[in-house]
Amino acid sequence: MERETLEVDVLVVGGGPAGLSAAIRLARLQQQEGGDPLAVAVLEKSRQSGSHMLSGAVLDPSGLDALLPDWKERGAPVETPVRDDRIYYLTAKSRFRAPITPPPLRNHGNYVISLNRFVRWLAEQAEAEGVDVFTGFAGTEVLYEGDRVVGVRTGDRGLDKEGRPKGAFEPGVDIRAAVTIFADGVRGNLTKSLVRRHGLDAAAPQTYAIGIKELWQIPPEREAPGTVVHTLGYPLRHEEFGGGFIYVLPEGRVAIGLVVGLDYRDPRFDPHMAFQRFKQHPLVAGLLAGGEMTRYGAKALPEGGWYAIPRCHLDGALIVGDAAGFLNSMRLKGIHLAMHSGIHAADAAFAAVRAGDVSAAQLVRYRELINHGGIRRELYPVRNVHQAFGAGLAAGTAVAGLAWLTNGRWPARPLSSEPGHERLASLAGYYPGGPADPDTPSNAVKVDRALTFDKLTNVHYSGTRHDEDQPVHLLVRDTDICRTRCREEYGNPCVRFCPANVYEMVDDGTGNGRRLQINASNCVHCKTCDIMDPYQIIDWVPPEGGGGPEYEGM
Amino acid sequence: MPFGRGERTDMVLVIAEQRDGVLNNASWEALVAAQQMGGPVRVAVAGADLGAVGTELAAADVESVLTVDHPDLAAYTPDGFVAAFAAVVADAAPDLVFLAHTYQTREFAPRLAARLGRPFIADCVGVGSRNDRPAFVRPMFQGKFVADVAPTGPAPHFVSFQIGAFRPDALKRGAAPAPVAAFPVTIEPGTIRQEVEAPFQEAKQAVDLTQAERIVAVGRGIKGQEHLKIVESLAAALGAEVAASRPICDSGWLPMDRQIGSSGQTVAPKLYLALGISGAIQHLVGMKGSRTIVAVNKDAEAPIFEVADYGIVGDLFDVVPAIIAALDA
Repeated sequence: MERETLEVDVLVVGGGPAGLSAAIRLARLQQQEGGDPLAVAVLEKSRQSGSHMLSGAVLDPSGLDALLPDWKERGAPVETPVRDDRIYYLTAKSRFRAPITPPPLRNHGNYVISLNRFVRWLAEQAEAEGVDVFTGFAGTEVLYEGDRVVGVRTGDRGLDKEGRPKGAFEPGVDIRAAVTIFADGVRGNLTKSLVRRHGLDAAAPQTYAIGIKELWQIPPEREAPGTVVHTLGYPLRHEEFGGGFIYVLPEGRVAIGLVVGLDYRDPRFDPHMAFQRFKQHPLVAGLLAGGEMTRYGAKALPEGGWYAIPRCHLDGALIVGDAAGFLNSMRLKGIHLAMHSGIHAADAAFAAVRAGDVSAAQLVRYRELINHGGIRRELYPVRNVHQAFGAGLAAGTAVAGLAWLTNGRWPARPLSSEPGHERLASLAGYYPGGPADPDTPSNAVKVDRALTFDKLTNVHYSGTRHDEDQPVHLLVRDTDICRTRCREEYGNPCVRFCPANVYEMVDDGTGNGRRLQINASNCVHCKTCDIMDPYQIIDWVPPEGGGGPEYEGM
Repeated sequence: MPFGRGERTDMVLVIAEQRDGVLNNASWEALVAAQQMGGPVRVAVAGADLGAVGTELAAADVESVLTVDHPDLAAYTPDGFVAAFAAVVADAAPDLVFLAHTYQTREFAPRLAARLGRPFIADCVGVGSRNDRPAFVRPMFQGKFVADVAPTGPAPHFVSFQIGAFRPDALKRGAAPAPVAAFPVTIEPGTIRQEVEAPFQEAKQAVDLTQAERIVAVGRGIKGQEHLKIVESLAAALGAEVAASRPICDSGWLPMDRQIGSSGQTVAPKLYLALGISGAIQHLVGMKGSRTIVAVNKDAEAPIFEVADYGIVGDLFDVVPAIIAALDA
């Protein structure tokens, strides 16, 4: 088979805030420093830049200030300053407002943005600087020479369900680069393979959360743009980590979301149902009454913090952004850290390319920049907070408070932590009183299709689209486990933790059992299944480039 | 031939689509949309040996038919069609150019509009006006909202229409056939960079459900592939095509080209009979334009009943044989 090859100096895999910041920084360094032209390419699996971007989002503009200080003149879609900042503790029927907003959650100087629009704008800036942004292409394989990373291979296009070439088959392209910057996002498929192959594991395993969000249109006079509300408590129990958010954009657009730690114990818990309950709370229902849901999305986020960040430099490669875990879960912010990490990676990659040495010994400069810059200053003091929340809300709050009071001097060492999926209890372990119905979520609500929705309806509003006639991109290594062991032990939690109705246990037609059905074309690329599956037998790999959600305005 | 321009009303040029001398049904729908604008309408079609197609189009109530006949246009190529229609549009100087939103349109129309530096409003479902200027109705956010999009800037403005948005039987026919004129084009060597290979069909039994007058669609309520027989008998009794919701095609019980909905076909038949289909929004967007919708479902709260004109709450295994018996009687 003939495969095309493309050679560039620096290849960035993933066109999100981290990857595009790296690309823009590289182009600008080349302009400032002069010398040979520098070929920079960005691979992005979504059809259009920004389409797979999902976040709250409140932006700390420090990354943007560092990257493009004249962002205002350039017309960045960063226009709604946070004007009011509130925190509530919710019970099923009531709310208690925190008398003060704890410093980590203070948002003065920050902006409520649509990450989709912001990234689309960043991609325009990158292209204006001469960067090639290839949208609709996913990296599916890392290319090596010995142990040195020399680029990535993009996915084949035009394969049918059985993996046979269709009429319009095009093999993937090998893109070779002196330095490859992996910006493939939370639980990125390529970063996952790098961590495994090179043993890049961090001091603590990465822990994750899932964020589920809707965009609503409400009467514009109801709430002022720039209002930011965070909630703790209901609909989550003390054993579940997370909280809700309400961010008000201009013209009556409101982002409503719930973040749930992917280290919950109840195997019948359903994060999407929890989100429906959140909307039913009087605080939210009152805001949304008479409004219309216009968009839906879900995405995992890395919450492990400082100790969960793997080694991010190796021969010929760097890892940035959510792929590496640069997110401050205490501030619920990662976009600015993603951008800072992209900038640092670009600085290290540029020096390496110019020096003609792209070994890990040279690229270690990236780690030095992180350790001496704002990223460590921000993440190190809160390094134990999420692990403490694993012990419950009260303990977590206490540690968060102490960490802040002592500027991170206490607690000093990593608290013990385990991968979130290992905390999931078995049905028998969680429901010792007797057999629990594995097919009904423990937090089920009846949806009304006005305020609350079923997953399938929600998926429609994610705009997700995939060519149906292509190989399934969710590789389940052994589906026998699904109908036998998992059914028995956990009651098929994938059906519940997937926020897009990808996994279903359907009648197998023989009348005596069920089989797993994978509705791969519903997938919104959130990565939750890859993370939360108790047997770790699900591998999320990119579908044909261009497929996936369309998070317009999200 | 120089074309005059209407003084008051916009002139619409419809680009019709044909293959091997057979017109695409959706081209009539684009013509209906053009006629609703109330101004003069012309229609152009490209290909080779277009005599019969030209005569067929001339039956419509239009000012004239232009046939763009050239051996290099015998097989469709985006470069060939962009070159040919760029010349036609420059010469005819229409205010609006209408097309059916077919696969072919999706490929060449954006390039044509870009070549001429004019806006293209794609996949519209209706025509209207805003501040006395034409505006086009376009679904947004997966059909949650519709927007009136009014083009600005110098004419012409390109607009394509979703298949099924207009009814071909609403076409106004002319009292006498419209004049048919050949539009001579020269296609410079090297213009067409694509090489056309022999057409192939991905699916073995490709069916175009968008052209069906009656459709019997089946969903999960059918339970097993072996039960499809009764659905097929009902379709045969009604002279209808069989279609399905996603789970049926996904299980391989019916080929994918019979899937209705957001990841399949969008249809608007005269009769749509939905059997055991709950009516997920993904399915509804593909069939809610049908003229008469009849739904059979066990669950009285199934969303399909919200769009159905007639609903039967019951088991399809009881209802379908009864309908067949009644039709046979």
